[in-house]
Amino acid sequence: MRVVIAEDQALLREGLRSLFEDAGHEVPAALESAERLLATVRGHRPDLVVVDIRMPPTFTDEGARAARQIKDAHPEMGVLVLSQHIETQYAVDLVSLGGFGYLLKGRVLRVADFLEAAQRVANGGSALDPRVVATLVSGGARHRLGQLSEREREVLELMAEGLTNSAIATRLFLSERTVEAHVRNVMTKLDVAHGEDAHRRVLAVLAHLRAMHTQY
Amino acid sequence: MRAQYQHLFALPWHPAPCEHRSMRRAPLLPWMLVAVAAGLMLAGAVLNALAGAHGEPWWQSALWVVATLASAGVGGLIALRRRGHPIGWLLLVNALLLASAGAAEGYAQYAVLEQPGALPGAQWAVLWDQSGWPLMFGVLTAIVFVFPDGRLPSPRYRRVARIAAFALAVFLVLSFLDPEPLEAPFEHVDRPLPSLPAAFAFLWPLALLGFLSGLVAAAASARSRFRRAAGIERLQLKWLALTAALVPVTLLICFASALLAAGVEERSAFSALFVFMLGAIPASIGVAVLRYRLYDIDRVINRTLVYGALTLLLAATYAATTLVLATALGERSAWVTASATLLAAAAFRPLRGRLQDAVDRRFSRARHDGLRRIREFLEELRAGLIAPEAAEPLLRDVLSDPALELRFWLPESEIYVDGHGHRVSDRPGDERVHTPVLRAGAPLGMVVHHAVDEERPRVLREVVEAAGLAIEIARLRVELRRQLEEVRASRARIVSAGYEERRRIERDLHDGAQQRMVSIGLALRHAQHELGSSKHPASRIIDATVDEIDVALEELRELARGVRPSQLDHGLAAALRELAARASLPVEVKADGVRFPLDLEAAAYFIATEGLTNAVKHAQASCVRLCAERVDGKLMVSVSDDGIGGATAVDGSGLRGLSDRVQAHGGTLQVDSVRGHGTTLVAELPCAS
Repeated sequence: MRVVIAEDQALLREGLRSLFEDAGHEVPAALESAERLLATVRGHRPDLVVVDIRMPPTFTDEGARAARQIKDAHPEMGVLVLSQHIETQYAVDLVSLGGFGYLLKGRVLRVADFLEAAQRVANGGSALDPRVVATLVSGGARHRLGQLSEREREVLELMAEGLTNSAIATRLFLSERTVEAHVRNVMTKLDVAHGEDAHRRVLAVLAHLRAMHTQY
Repeated sequence: MRAQYQHLFALPWHPAPCEHRSMRRAPLLPWMLVAVAAGLMLAGAVLNALAGAHGEPWWQSALWVVATLASAGVGGLIALRRRGHPIGWLLLVNALLLASAGAAEGYAQYAVLEQPGALPGAQWAVLWDQSGWPLMFGVLTAIVFVFPDGRLPSPRYRRVARIAAFALAVFLVLSFLDPEPLEAPFEHVDRPLPSLPAAFAFLWPLALLGFLSGLVAAAASARSRFRRAAGIERLQLKWLALTAALVPVTLLICFASALLAAGVEERSAFSALFVFMLGAIPASIGVAVLRYRLYDIDRVINRTLVYGALTLLLAATYAATTLVLATALGERSAWVTASATLLAAAAFRPLRGRLQDAVDRRFSRARHDGLRRIREFLEELRAGLIAPEAAEPLLRDVLSDPALELRFWLPESEIYVDGHGHRVSDRPGDERVHTPVLRAGAPLGMVVHHAVDEERPRVLREVVEAAGLAIEIARLRVELRRQLEEVRASRARIVSAGYEERRRIERDLHDGAQQRMVSIGLALRHAQHELGSSKHPASRIIDATVDEIDVALEELRELARGVRPSQLDHGLAAALRELAARASLPVEVKADGVRFPLDLEAAAYFIATEGLTNAVKHAQASCVRLCAERVDGKLMVSVSDDGIGGATAVDGSGLRGLSDRVQAHGGTLQVDSVRGHGTTLVAELPCAS
């Protein structure tokens, strides 16, 4: 796949470039700010854009705004936002758009998981950092999820991360059939409508988790 | 002009050292002069009575006595009070001249007409009586020249005054050495002095012209002074002008009578007019001085009245006691005297207080009332019924100056401030007068007031001095408030700087350390890739190292979040939701997206954090409610739980820290924590900061 990177720190930028290139992907452009990102993306038409959420000049949400602009202009393009901190509201808002990922920067060190998530986003799926998901299902929400079994909760978290059933099965060393049963149970227990579309399933789960999360 | 005569009132509540000395030294000379004048006057009156039919009619003598007394009294008072001031001495000389002329006349009438040859030197008395009068005009001219400040109106008049004095001297010499016979009824008396040769007669018109010019110059000087004068000085000059106008009139009539050679009867009427004039001028000066408290004379009068009456009353007490006891016991004994003395001594203090009070009430109403109100105010102040800051409105009221301002001196900052601690300085064009307020020699502040007039100059100083204690307390309170204000402001600044610092540290952790560690991890992963084989032992080491990096990243992230949550960038509501999401118990958040100043949002966030921590740690709560909203221009943050309650703000507890944080923003913290009914913290933070 073809990846465009926007990251202001040179070391990290080059690290990401070699990460993708080492995995056999193509990196046609790596930018140090969000300014020319939209034009570059328009030119290169990559499968995936990886953006640091905080970039010059104000170091607040330049990356996030650029990501939204790209998504508006090229809905088919995958956008992966890299962040330094765990934010549930913001992250869930972005990820709910589909073809969108929100991962903590440290996640890139788990190369296999990271590349898998990147690939998923490039394919129009979702990726939400496990730590963000953990936050979503922690605190007050944990009480609400008390009706789920430990395994069901694990499945729920992986669903929220954006994993497909087969990916979940691989991750949990379960058969796909077992995973499907767990998914069905979770959806029923949480009273979430479930279809076969992986993305809509993620949206439903995230919406549910967020509602649960903000209710308190 | 105003400033020029201010020094007239510059009599001081702390007398200048030199004045002190002169006051202490017995003021003998004025008393002696008054005594001599009185003696001469008495002698004249006795001789006049002895002269019988040859003497003056009684009303003329009475007029003369009154004129002498007026001049001696006013002159004596001023000379006592203001030794360096020429007016007092000039009036005393005037009194002496009047008295001596009267005595000389009586002497002449008795020794020449009634009992010829009974007394020696009769012709000297006649000569003095008839030729001394220009000297009196000279004294009056001098008074007109220098009234009221004791100086000539301008240096130009120095030469004029010298010429006038010289002309007067020539005129006097010519009068005394005149070859003409003395006037009736003493035409047969020989002149005791040799006569001038007739060749000097040409000097007469010149001397007369010089003498009259002196009078005109005096009038001109008074006129020019009047034109420049303002306020009280104008009023004083008016009083003098009233009687000084008599001088030329009298002089004209005298000359006319001499020229027309009028009869003795008319002459005596003119002479009465002359005497009246000589008495009227000191009297008008006396009025000007008393009415407008010139030369601070009222204090002398006040003392004189009080101690005069005191002496009389004590003497009466002593006499009455002695009489009563002696009558009752039928004999005089040592202990009758002792008892009377004791009674008089015991009566001294209360009697003096009463008399002083009565005299004050009668003669200086404003001062008396003002001081009484200040005393009452101080009593209320001591009783804690009134704030010392009320001194300003009180002074305004007492001194009837609604624009009066009390300013306090802050020695540390070296500025003047008002009662609210705000710095004050004079507006340009403000012509108000600044009177310093001192206490034990140290400046407390000043009273800014309109230029005082009439009888208030001394009243103002005394009233302000009496209020010194209240002013000092008020000053201390203002200073304390100001310092407290400064401490508050600096605490708020420090807290704000703390938030800013947290923000910087958080940024540094995220964008510096964390990024760099991720870069290192990526470099390691790249190296691992270059190794090619995942079976390589180095590959396992790299895996372990990257895991360590991941842990370190997590720790750094938690550290940064504790320093300052990045969600605060998106507003208080977002940060509170994030806080709630991470809590180990259900937390309900009620907050809308309204934004506040950054440091206020940070303060509110940390208040909520600490409140939540308290609820989790100590309250055994099952759920917590966080609320942040804008109410009446304030940011209200509340944290309520359903825990065990009974929280108190003891030292070192979380509540204490919370309270400090809230107060640093000028807010208030209310803790409602009844045992068994949960805890509710409400912090009110003012938004305008």
